[in-house]
Amino acid sequence: MVYFQKWMMTLGSAGLLFCLGAFCDKDGLNTAAAADQLALTSAVMCEDVQERQPVNEGVVFSIGIGRICCYTLFDVVPDKTYITHNWYNRDNLSTKIKLPLHAPRWTTYSAIQLRESDKGPWRVEITDSEGRILQVLRFSVTE
Amino acid sequence: MNGFLIFLQSIRWQDIVDITLNSYILFRCYVIFRITNAFRILIGLAFLWIFQRIAVAIGLIVTSWVIQGITAVAALIIIVVFRNEIRSVLQVKNIKMLFWGFPQQPFHTPIQIIAESVMDLSRKRIGALIVFPGREDITEKIQNGILWDGAISKEMITSIFWEDNPVHDGAVIVEGDRIREVGVILPLSHRHELPSHYGTRHRAAMGLAESTDSLVVVVSEERGTIQVVKGATITPIFKKDDLERQLEQHLGLMVKDQTIRKKERREICIAAVVSVILITSIWLSITRGLDSLVTFEIPIEYMNRNPGMEIMDASVSSIKIQLGGSGPLMRTVRPDHVRVKIDLGKSVVGQNIYTITHENISLPPGIVIKSFEPSVVDVSLDVLDKKDMPVQVDWTGKLPENLRMEKVKIDPNTVQIIGGRQILKNITTAYTEKIPLESIQTSRTIIVNLALSPASLKVAPGFKDKITVDCTVRAIPKNGQ
Repeated sequence: MVYFQKWMMTLGSAGLLFCLGAFCDKDGLNTAAAADQLALTSAVMCEDVQERQPVNEGVVFSIGIGRICCYTLFDVVPDKTYITHNWYNRDNLSTKIKLPLHAPRWTTYSAIQLRESDKGPWRVEITDSEGRILQVLRFSVTE
Repeated sequence: MNGFLIFLQSIRWQDIVDITLNSYILFRCYVIFRITNAFRILIGLAFLWIFQRIAVAIGLIVTSWVIQGITAVAALIIIVVFRNEIRSVLQVKNIKMLFWGFPQQPFHTPIQIIAESVMDLSRKRIGALIVFPGREDITEKIQNGILWDGAISKEMITSIFWEDNPVHDGAVIVEGDRIREVGVILPLSHRHELPSHYGTRHRAAMGLAESTDSLVVVVSEERGTIQVVKGATITPIFKKDDLERQLEQHLGLMVKDQTIRKKERREICIAAVVSVILITSIWLSITRGLDSLVTFEIPIEYMNRNPGMEIMDASVSSIKIQLGGSGPLMRTVRPDHVRVKIDLGKSVVGQNIYTITHENISLPPGIVIKSFEPSVVDVSLDVLDKKDMPVQVDWTGKLPENLRMEKVKIDPNTVQIIGGRQILKNITTAYTEKIPLESIQTSRTIIVNLALSPASLKVAPGFKDKITVDCTVRAIPKNGQ
C-alpha cells in the first residue's frame, strides 16, 4: 500500500473561489479494479475538508460559516485527467473550478467564500473533462 | 379645407339618420303646435334656455341660476295653464295627423246654411247662441249640454231656438257638419264695461270666447242684432257675407288668396330649415364638442396571435388614453367602450415592437383621442415547449443553532414545465416556494408549491405541482462535529 498525497491551492478568478485542494489517495485495492472509466464514488457539500474527509456535511449552510466546500472522491481514475466543479447560484453560473485527477484514486474538493448576496439555492455540477455531468449537488445558503 | 373634408369623412350614416329624425320631430312639433298659444310660450322658453346657456358661458352665475329657475317654473306653468290646449292637439282622432299632414277641420261646416239661419233668426227676433269651438277643448268650460248630434239645417237651427223649445235659452255647439249639443250653459263674462243692453246671452258668449279660442255667434232676442264674439272682440254683423267670412276665417275654410298661401308655405319651409339647423347645431355641440376631457387606462388586446405562440412578456399591459368630447357624451363613456387592439398576425418569435396609432384605438362615436402613452409596445412571443426540470427546495431564514440539515428528499424530484422555448432555454431548475427554516425543529415532511418564474411557466398536465419535502435534521454535538 503506497499512499501519495498532494496539496494544491489555487485562488478563484472572481475572488469567490477561496481554495481548492486535491488529494491523491492511491489505494492498492482499487488499483486492481482500475478500469477504463472514471468513477465518482462520493460527492458531498460540507463546511470543511480535514484529513481528506468532509466535515459537517449538509444541504443547508449558514452564511455565517464563511466558506463552503464541494468534496468529491473518485475511486477509479484510469488516467490523469481533470474534472470541473461548476457552481451555480440559482441558474446563474457563479464559478467554474477545474480540478486535476490522478490515477488510480483521487480525492479533491473546491470551495467558495460566501458573501451576503450568496443566499439562496445553489447547485454544483460535477463534470468530467468532456463536460459530461457526473453528479449534481443541491444545497442552500441561508442566514 | 382639409379639416372640413376630414369632418365630412367622419360623418356616419347613423349621424344623418339622427339629425333627420330629430329635425322632423321638431318640425312636426312646430306644425302641430304653431297655431296654439302654448307654442308662443314654448318659443319664449326656448329663448330663456338660450339666455341661460349664454349666461353660463360668460360666467354670470346668479343670472344663469335665476333664468334656470324661471325656465323650470315656466315649463310647469305651461303644462298647467295650457293643458286643455295641449290635450286637444294630442287627442287627434287621426293618429296620422301627428306624423304627417297639416291640422285642418275634418268636416266642412255648412257655413252658408248657418249664416242664412242666423240672418233668418235675426229677422224673426229669435234669440240664439251658437258656439264654434276652435282648437281648444271646451268641455270643462261648458255645462248641462244635451247631446244632439244632428245634421245642420236651417229648419233645425230655427227649431232649436224657437221660443217654445225647452232648450232655446242654451247655446248650441257646432262641430264640423253636426250640432253636437244643445241647451248648453256657458260661463258668464265678468267684464264691467259691457253696454247695458247686453243681456245674459251676450255675457255668456263673451265668457266662453274670453276663456277659449271659440267663436260665438249671438242673436239678440230684443233687437235682432247679430254679434260675433272671439277672444275679447265683439264684431257686429250686418250682412250675411260678413258672417260667412268670419266663420270661414275661424274654421280655416276661408279661401286663401295666393299671397297668404305663399306666406304660409314660406313659414313652413323656414320652420323646416330652422329645425334642421337647430338639430344639427345641437348634434354638433353634443358629438363634436371638446369641452370635456377624461383619461382611461385601457388594457391592450392582442389579436390574430399564432396559436403555436405565446406572449411571454410585454413592456406594458395597458395604454393611458386621454379622450376629449362634449360633456354629455363624455359622461356616457365607460372604459369598456374604448378598445386598444394590436394585430399580432405578423409577429415573430422573440421581440416584436409595435407603434400604437389611432387605428389601434377604437372609440365610441363623437369621442376623439387627445393623447395616449406609451406609443410603443414591446411584445415578446415564444413557441410553447416542454422541459423536464429537477425540483430544488428554496430554504430561507435561519436553522436553529443546534441543528444541521443533513438530507432532503423531494417528491417528485422532477417536473415537466410548459413555457416559452426561449425562457425554458435559460431555466434548468424548478424551485419551490421559500420554506422558512425557523419552523424546522425536527425531521419532518413539508408540502409546498412550486414558485415558477416568470408566471407564464406552468406545470405540465399529469405532473404534481405540490412538492413533498422530507427533511432530515440532526442535532449538532457541542463540539460542532
